[in-house]
Amino acid sequence: MVKGLLVSDFNAENLSAYLKNDVSDPRVDTSTIPYGQIGQTLVDASLPCWQSDLDFIVIWTRPEAVLETFGNLLAFSDVDAKRLYEEVDEYAAHVLAIRHRAKVIFVPTWVIPTLHQGHGMLDLVPRVGVSRALLQINLRLLENLDRGSNIVPLNAATWIEAAGEKAFNSRLWYMAKVPFANEVFKAAARDMKAALRGLGGRSRKLVIVDLDDTLWGGIVGDQGWENITLGGHDPAGEALVDFQRELKALTRRGVVLAIVSKNDESVALEAIRKHPEMVLQLDDFAAWRIDWSDKAANIVDVVEELSLGLDSVVFIDDSPVERARVRDALPDVLVPEWPADRRLYPHALRSLDCFDKPTISDEDRRRSGMYVTERRRAELKQEAGTPEEWLRDLSMVVTVESLNVANLARVVQLLNKTNQFNLSTRRVTGPELLAWASRDGRRLWAFRVGDKFGDSGLTGIASVEREGSRARIEDFVLSCRVMGRKVEETMLHIAVKWARAAGLEELYAVYKPTPRNKPCVEFLRRSGLQALAEHVFAWPLRQEYPVCPQIRLIYQAGGFEEMSTDGVEDPDRRT
Amino acid sequence: MSIVRGQILGILYQCIDELNEQLAPEQQLRKAPQTGLFGGSGMLDSLGFVNFVALVEDKCERCFQVALSLTEDGAKQGDASPFETVGELADFIRQLLIDKKAIEG
Repeated sequence: MVKGLLVSDFNAENLSAYLKNDVSDPRVDTSTIPYGQIGQTLVDASLPCWQSDLDFIVIWTRPEAVLETFGNLLAFSDVDAKRLYEEVDEYAAHVLAIRHRAKVIFVPTWVIPTLHQGHGMLDLVPRVGVSRALLQINLRLLENLDRGSNIVPLNAATWIEAAGEKAFNSRLWYMAKVPFANEVFKAAARDMKAALRGLGGRSRKLVIVDLDDTLWGGIVGDQGWENITLGGHDPAGEALVDFQRELKALTRRGVVLAIVSKNDESVALEAIRKHPEMVLQLDDFAAWRIDWSDKAANIVDVVEELSLGLDSVVFIDDSPVERARVRDALPDVLVPEWPADRRLYPHALRSLDCFDKPTISDEDRRRSGMYVTERRRAELKQEAGTPEEWLRDLSMVVTVESLNVANLARVVQLLNKTNQFNLSTRRVTGPELLAWASRDGRRLWAFRVGDKFGDSGLTGIASVEREGSRARIEDFVLSCRVMGRKVEETMLHIAVKWARAAGLEELYAVYKPTPRNKPCVEFLRRSGLQALAEHVFAWPLRQEYPVCPQIRLIYQAGGFEEMSTDGVEDPDRRT
Repeated sequence: MSIVRGQILGILYQCIDELNEQLAPEQQLRKAPQTGLFGGSGMLDSLGFVNFVALVEDKCERCFQVALSLTEDGAKQGDASPFETVGELADFIRQLLIDKKAIEG
């Protein structure tokens, strides 16, 4: 159960009710502050509402309630723009000051009721224009809040749009101090739940699409690629090109694409290669299964090939029969209802909130290409005689670096979203991780992996904490993209090397089982570490942990020293 | 049952559906004339009641093209609260609509 506090200058019980009664994952328990207590709540840490552990806080205010100058503007008083900005800065400072009280702080942007709209030409004029001032204060607020890495602003204007002309409810306001119609709160609750899923690493990572009447119009096997509907001066054709563009845009957000289609593979691939209006090319797809097999079975196959979980998949198919089949066979796969009208495909894709993530890292932008590279890597593996030959042919390079400003966002992202190869499944925010790593006797290493096919990016994390003459491995996390390439052993090698240099006697790891992190314990069992108990594994530090000779290790300069708080030099740093 | 009373009950049931989205399963209202609303055997707390009234006023306004203020008009009923059950509320709304000449008596 995720626990949240709603801090608002209005009655937020309706939002609280929608959050609590939404059965989608994660389940949420929320409380609200008493009406009229916003100022006191923001400044007084001793209030009861702050005494429990909170996963998230929503700070949602009306601008006229927290910015006196904005209230004056609504009354057409002549206002000082500088003073308005000062009030925004003061308000933002209060928000920033409480950011450490929860893992994430949601701050909806300011909106104003429709009764204050309709100022015509005056609306965007300096000093009196309400809409102009609203744009300015929102931008100022966002710029201030950028300083809080765990503060997630949410665009409340989209909730107002979703609710239409009845977004502001005067009846509820005057009877219960609830300013918005429930449609607004429903949209807000949906966005907040999606954000919580994204922050918890539960956003969807793989979109599997059908081909005929999904990626293009018509049946390519019957019509030939020259006659499928795609692009041209045709409403459906143009929409399908836009749909492909939207899919392509998703790949830049870290979402991977794959195909599962009932077709002749050669015919379908020819269409992708040859049709001049195909936006998506073969290299945009990490995998495909194009044959006459059951689609549910093929989806499982693709997911296994990509080392992802079924709960990371969205399946898009125009056929209600195929959708029903996949929903029935694979309940973890998200199968959205899909419009029959192809002109609605781009909007249907844009409406999905399952890809929400707090940030887009460079790794995200490159992920799709990495999977394509992985496909080529697998082909090489089939050609190589032994695993050692394969590793040698790959020319693997592992770069070790400490936690630093440049890699913090990616490290936090990897920690929070990795489920399979994860020793303790610790979920943390950036500030929490920095605070953890800054304590004496703790070290955290990030591992970048590359080979002759390209850079897999920052894909491994190991952290240790000294406990007397022993060191405990706190985090041992590896992206599924690089599992099975001896990076796991390399991470252990580094941790052992550090612990030996610190003069310790034993390094140990406690595996915390979850429904999904079995690959981690399977590695520990075959790693050579001694099993002290069912879930406890140790390495005596009188001996080194061997490093894989086929892997070239590089210790990156910078970052290492700043995070080293225990006075132990990095054991074998090379630059 | 008159056609209008049935229509009003239909509106109240729509409002119950919407309100139930905010309520925990054990607090959800049944769509039946005898379901208690507020006071006496009522199921709703004060905010739930306000939400329900706002929904009903909105939908009645859309359906019958007349503005209702149920709490204001209800207060004029003295001790006989029209909000005890769904059925009583439907009768009360029907009478208000007749009084406001939105429907024929």
